[in-house]
Amino acid sequence: MVEVELRGVWKRFGDFVAVKNVNLRFPDGKFSSILGPSGSGKTTLLYLIAGIYKPSRGEILFDGEDVSRLPPNKRNVGLVFQNYALYPHMTVFENIAFPLTIKGLPRGEIEERVHSVARMLHIDELLDRYPHQLSGGQQQRVALARALVKEPAVLLLDEPLSNLDALVRLEIRGELKRLQRRLGITTIYVTHDQSEALAMADLIAVIHRGEIQQVGSPEDVYRRPRNLFVAGFIGMPPANLVKAAVTRTPTPCVVIAGGGEYCPGEPLASKLEALGLEAVVAAFRPEDVVLGEHPMEDYVSMEAEVYVVETLGRENLVTLRLPDGQAVKAITSPLLNPRPGDKMYVNVEPSKILLYDPDTELNIEAIEAAPAARPVSLAGSPERRRAAQEED
Amino acid sequence: MQGEGLLAGLLGSLKPRRRRRQPTEELPLASRAVSYTVIAALLAASLPIILSYTLLVELSFSASFIATPFEKTSFTLENWRLFFQGRLAPTAAQIYTPSYIRRMILDTLIVALGVMGVVVASATPAAYAFSRMNFRGRGALMRFLILLHAFPGVALIIGVYAIYVYTYRRLALGLHAGEAALLAYAFLYVIVARASLEIPMSTWLMKGFFDRIPWEVEWAALVDGASRLRVFTRIMLPLVKPGLAALSIFSFMAGWEELIYVVVFLPSKAPTLASYIHSQLSGGAIETAYLPVVAAAAVVYLIPTILFFVFTQSLLVEAAEGAGVKA
Ligand SMILES: Nc1ncnc2c1ncn2[C@@H]1O[C@H](COP(=O)(O)OP(=O)(O)OP(=O)(O)O)[C@@H](O)[C@H]1O
Ligand SMILES: [Mg+2]
Repeated sequence: MVEVELRGVWKRFGDFVAVKNVNLRFPDGKFSSILGPSGSGKTTLLYLIAGIYKPSRGEILFDGEDVSRLPPNKRNVGLVFQNYALYPHMTVFENIAFPLTIKGLPRGEIEERVHSVARMLHIDELLDRYPHQLSGGQQQRVALARALVKEPAVLLLDEPLSNLDALVRLEIRGELKRLQRRLGITTIYVTHDQSEALAMADLIAVIHRGEIQQVGSPEDVYRRPRNLFVAGFIGMPPANLVKAAVTRTPTPCVVIAGGGEYCPGEPLASKLEALGLEAVVAAFRPEDVVLGEHPMEDYVSMEAEVYVVETLGRENLVTLRLPDGQAVKAITSPLLNPRPGDKMYVNVEPSKILLYDPDTELNIEAIEAAPAARPVSLAGSPERRRAAQEED
Repeated sequence: MQGEGLLAGLLGSLKPRRRRRQPTEELPLASRAVSYTVIAALLAASLPIILSYTLLVELSFSASFIATPFEKTSFTLENWRLFFQGRLAPTAAQIYTPSYIRRMILDTLIVALGVMGVVVASATPAAYAFSRMNFRGRGALMRFLILLHAFPGVALIIGVYAIYVYTYRRLALGLHAGEAALLAYAFLYVIVARASLEIPMSTWLMKGFFDRIPWEVEWAALVDGASRLRVFTRIMLPLVKPGLAALSIFSFMAGWEELIYVVVFLPSKAPTLASYIHSQLSGGAIETAYLPVVAAAAVVYLIPTILFFVFTQSLLVEAAEGAGVKA
């Protein structure tokens, strides 16, 4: 199989920059996911890998070999399009057989390979139908079969499950993962659905506005979001992001509204110190919140007022307001049923709190040797920095 | 309602007939009155046309010349016999040979098929390029096509004639081309000149069909390993089949019905159905022409239109329902 690497890849559409300086390595035989909200450049990235788009800058390598100038028909990739893009005038059989007919394989071999891939995907009953006679889930399988039948070096999947209902999606999700394991094809799976990425991928690349935000295992991305975007995007609901002040007594402590005080240990304390920050953003997950009538020992506790209680069945989702008006969400047992207006304490274990620089939006832990890591931090807002980056 | 059926028939070639929905919803009174008025007006406006066609067909089967639609006349196949024998009057005043009639129909076919071939072969790739490729001057060129279409063919004919005379003379005097070669050249010239009038609009029509094919379908074929040419022949062409059919029919009809270019460029010994009928009716010829036989010729001349009407029904419905491409 093949390892796919992107080096400094940019893609412009006129003035619009859809993909910005992407450096990524998709390991050989692994299931990788590109995760990002709608319009973040996921499809564009996939088309760059497939060769449908040419990068404006940078290069794409398959096993170290530059394929940037190769047209799609020379790259041996399988691509399942977001809308499947089956050939409407061909039967399911002809659709799946198309890549093989183009190669000019003998009729017998084509039949054999089409039937075997169709059996594997449970669509061998449908071979005589036309695409418009199929359900969404069936079309998806046909598209997958068409991509797999030529035994591609890389399998690219563009939100293949987004048109399916929740149950079918769960089922196919499992199947797809098993299939990938069995075939061992380097797979890149594009999705805006974090639960899909977290459940299926060995490696997740989070993308936003054409820029890669973080690359890591599902655990990494979930537990240690590299920046505020990832923290606010991953999780159902995503992490609470609360503005907090930094005091020095003389060791730095983070003070959150409602009486929450968090004095981090080393090496975080000296990092805070070195960065000289006056304010930070504290992030913690709703499921890490322990709601109670009282502040808890060894926890960071904030007094808050209950705003809304949503019953989710297995648990309750409680939205609270800190005294300064910032909202905090907490997942609690369904037995705890506070009423709006109640005063409660939001208790969070200190180790579950992550701190972010509000200026660079980066996780303070992730910032390397302090001053050098923020070379342009004095230039102003992240927006302006992004703009500056674009010019070089 | 009878009027409705007739109207649907008349409009059938323009617009696909809707399948009737069950149950039909009751129209509000006001809009119902409006639609009846519209139907009545259309019927009144098309009455002369309906009457003339009825008369034409009736005349080709009648033993004597009829002047009004209500005249009694006896049925006969004599006119058709005369026509196919090449005898254009019972008095034998104008006698041609049966081969003459066959030639005439053949000539008409050559022009029609020629125009069709040239139009389809040039408008289809052009439309593909306009739909899918980005090149300099694309927008300007597309506007220019509309402008070209707006020019009446009759006005162009003077320039077209000048070129014809110049090239014809070179062929005849400079290259000493034989008579057969010159005739072939005349046909070629009529075909290309007439086709060029059709190409702008045809390109637009085909562009519409290409536009409806999702890019992803084309890309899928590229990713599947097909070359650009293969993608065009294996994916794009089959998907615009309804468009190709419509284009073929329209351009065939344009060639079949063409009169002016044929009269101007083809020698009179090579008439088409159109120019023959024209010659029987113009310049005093009508005084001596035996109209029932001319009517038979005119009915033959109508046959493609009738076929067109029959076939486009299903074709247009298919095109409209997007049987080819599901967006
Ligand atoms: N051909 C194009 N021309 C101009 N802009 C484009 C083009 N293709 C994509 N874009 C823009 O690039 C950005 C990224 O598009 P892309 O299709 O890659 O998003 P996506 O992450 O796949 O979104 P979705 O989840 O909605 O499919 C969007 O803002 C889009 O408008
Ligand atoms: Mg997309």
